[in-house]
Amino acid sequence: MTLLEVEDAHTYYGESHILEGVSFEVEAGEVVALIGRNGVGKTTTLRTILQLTPPREGRVRYRGEDVTGRETHEIAEKGVGWIPEGRRIFSQLSVEENVRVAVPEGRNVESAVERAFETFPDLRDHRDRDAGNLSGGQQQMLALSRGLVGDNDLLLVDEPSEGLAPLIVERVAEALAAAADDTTLLLVEQNLPLALDLADRFYVLDNGQVVDEGNADETSADDERLRRYLSA
Amino acid sequence: METLLPRVETMVVVFYFGLFAMSFDFISGYTGYLSFGHAAFYGAGAYFVVLASNGKVPALGPNTSFVALLVLAGLVAVVLALLIGAVSFRLSGVYFAMITLGFSQVLYVFVRDWDFVGSNPRDGPAVLERTDPFSIGVPGVDSLNLAIGQLAGDSVEGFLGVLNFSTAEVSYYMVGLVVLVCYFVMQRIIHSPFGRVLIAIRENEERAEAVGYNTFWYKLGAFAVSAFFAAIAGGLFAGFQRSVSPEETFYFLVTGDALLASIIGGFATLAGPLYGWLFDETITEFLSKRGEGGGLLPYLRDHLGEGTLSIEIFNGLTVQEAIDTFLNGHAELYIGVLFVLFVLFVPNGLLGTVRDRVGGPIGKAVADRIWGENR
Repeated sequence: MTLLEVEDAHTYYGESHILEGVSFEVEAGEVVALIGRNGVGKTTTLRTILQLTPPREGRVRYRGEDVTGRETHEIAEKGVGWIPEGRRIFSQLSVEENVRVAVPEGRNVESAVERAFETFPDLRDHRDRDAGNLSGGQQQMLALSRGLVGDNDLLLVDEPSEGLAPLIVERVAEALAAAADDTTLLLVEQNLPLALDLADRFYVLDNGQVVDEGNADETSADDERLRRYLSA
Repeated sequence: METLLPRVETMVVVFYFGLFAMSFDFISGYTGYLSFGHAAFYGAGAYFVVLASNGKVPALGPNTSFVALLVLAGLVAVVLALLIGAVSFRLSGVYFAMITLGFSQVLYVFVRDWDFVGSNPRDGPAVLERTDPFSIGVPGVDSLNLAIGQLAGDSVEGFLGVLNFSTAEVSYYMVGLVVLVCYFVMQRIIHSPFGRVLIAIRENEERAEAVGYNTFWYKLGAFAVSAFFAAIAGGLFAGFQRSVSPEETFYFLVTGDALLASIIGGFATLAGPLYGWLFDETITEFLSKRGEGGGLLPYLRDHLGEGTLSIEIFNGLTVQEAIDTFLNGHAELYIGVLFVLFVLFVPNGLLGTVRDRVGGPIGKAVADRIWGENR
């Protein structure tokens, strides 16, 4: 079943034309990677799906329903989660409060918090600390746990390995692989080996358009075809 | 001590204006939306109490219980906040501040020229028809009520056999009691899941939305809550002074004072603005003239001998003249300088800085120190 469908999306920041007709699909249960250089529109694609910056032309469909122009919180309520890049957490809330705010209304908060701490035992030791005081790796773990307790059917993950030490990247990758068992992932990632390792399929973005796509298992990180779009 | 500390009358003002500053902090400090028109709610509360006490609010007699009036004033402000907020929360940042400021100035101009409030709307109405005092306590039980006010308030003699309170002291405790209760309620809301969402909105509204919160309703709810308590503060002001004027209520500089109190006391600390206003008032009084509770000026005049006062410092300027020139009536000037210094060097405010030092709320830190951290 097609879970998410982006069709010919044109998105602008003010007058600058960022996405110039992006189209792709994500099937339920898949892990799909969006790859491409800095500034080609990967993050904007995620923001377009969430309607944080709605497309001026084109459509976003979720479970076959047109959600273009809806409010962001409505998209979130339909089961789309977002793990943003950069400072990924609410730094002035405690670790536990960060997890709590991510649990949808009407769900069992305590068991969700427990589940998050089981997945990331590190977090349990720091549950009362302000999340802003955690290390970069711990913050990423927290951001991931927030995405997981949200009971999302589709998780948009933006640059999970950015700015992390290689050892931490490995743990983040394990956590993402574990998450992929229960949910569908759309992953934005510059780290090509990591992206190809996690993903089933990938799309390559360049200058606001999808220029290539393929099956991750059949493609190696050294592929000439990909390097053309990724090397600066 | 009398030289250094503010008078009891001033402390009553510190309480109710401190409550207003706290309500300003509730919305501005915790959601990050600066409510520059907050004076509108303070004014609505103050005018509501005075108008009701003059029999000008339909269905309310002039002698309606003061506690009931305070709650009703709060509800009027809630309605006003929902109307203003529904429009204003479509904007953010400086535009939100400007549009709320606009609303409050419209109300200010309107109230200034509204004949209905009294014969001279520019100077504002006074309480004329009410015969009952403004009493705080359990409604309907006379023995559990004490009246506030500068002239009309109660005094208490022989409480528990030994304690005597003047009218000013009764006002101090009763207004203080209301402010304390309001503080605890706001504190409780901040620490509820609702309050956590407000902080999440301040940190990153997009992310809060992407978690699934309809931030518009959370912001509007917080705005209504803060308006409710701003109106209670305004109602206490009206009850204590028994007269109100547009300049002391709806005017934008009233919000300015709340902002000043919040910056000196510490944004997003809730209690901080009250300490900020206490600090401001203490300094103001310390530097003002005799008869206005002045501390420093009369003290110097009384304690420096005639000989010292007539010493010439520079070019014919004596010590006496220097004191008059630099101290007399210049409290605001020094407050202004102090404000600049606070913004530059104590950006977290008094309470914010102390909390950073001890690593958390002060009550918690003290308890940890006494009983050890792992109770």
